[in-house]
Amino acid sequence: MKKFMMKYLMVNCNEATFFMAKKEEGKLTFFQIAKLSMHTSLCSFCKKFEKQTSKIAQESKHVHAEDNLPAFAKERIKKILEEHSS
Amino acid sequence: MEKQSFKANPQKWLSLYGDFLYHYTLPRVNHSIIAEDLVQETFLSALKGLDGYKGEASEKNWLFTILKNKIIDYYRKKAMEQSVMSMPDLQVMDDEWFNEEGGWVENKIPKDWHAADSPVERKEIQKIINWCKDHLKELQQHVFTLKYMEDLDSIEICKVLNISSSNYWVLIHRARLQMRECVEKYWLKT
Repeated sequence: MKKFMMKYLMVNCNEATFFMAKKEEGKLTFFQIAKLSMHTSLCSFCKKFEKQTSKIAQESKHVHAEDNLPAFAKERIKKILEEHSS
Repeated sequence: MEKQSFKANPQKWLSLYGDFLYHYTLPRVNHSIIAEDLVQETFLSALKGLDGYKGEASEKNWLFTILKNKIIDYYRKKAMEQSVMSMPDLQVMDDEWFNEEGGWVENKIPKDWHAADSPVERKEIQKIINWCKDHLKELQQHVFTLKYMEDLDSIEICKVLNISSSNYWVLIHRARLQMRECVEKYWLKT
């Protein structure tokens, strides 16, 4: 019985983490959502995975470089802009 | 008065927005030379399109939108050039993280992270994310960048990179596993 439950009602961690990527875009069916939430309610590892990957997703948008446009590139672009705006 | 005198002021673009556009571009294309080129092309396209600019968006947002299109074009061109590039072997890919039953491999189990909510901590984790993204394999990196840094959806990304939807989901799954593991490794050292 336990095996049956595992096979038909539950997803494993590999599938659960795969479903999470699809969940971000609302691409899960009703049953997949149910299976995933059942899994994460029981599996603390995957719960952590979900929290951490959404943190990464949230912060990735804000990644910016600190180096400025190099001076020689500015010179070059300045010249090109002058040529094109005259 | 000049015809195109709305608010656009091309003489000042470089000094006002050059660094801002470059800061955004560099982590999204990884190479300074490419980032410089894309900033330059953005200004040139804007000059050409100056007549069409009616001042609806601020000058900064207008340039930023042009830049974002340039970044996507860059990935589209790259994908076309590499159309013969073979897909990684998608069958054996998840073995690294999961055992045969699909459970976590012992040393890959997610650990607890300390919070990253303050501005300083967030800046730090963003740096780590950028470093880890640079160390993803090529296609995973493209998929990750377009999805999480450029905020495109899967359908748009499949079109830009010319990959199938099933390949996309495998690539993004793998990129997420790889990124989380890498960010954890460096975040827990801070």
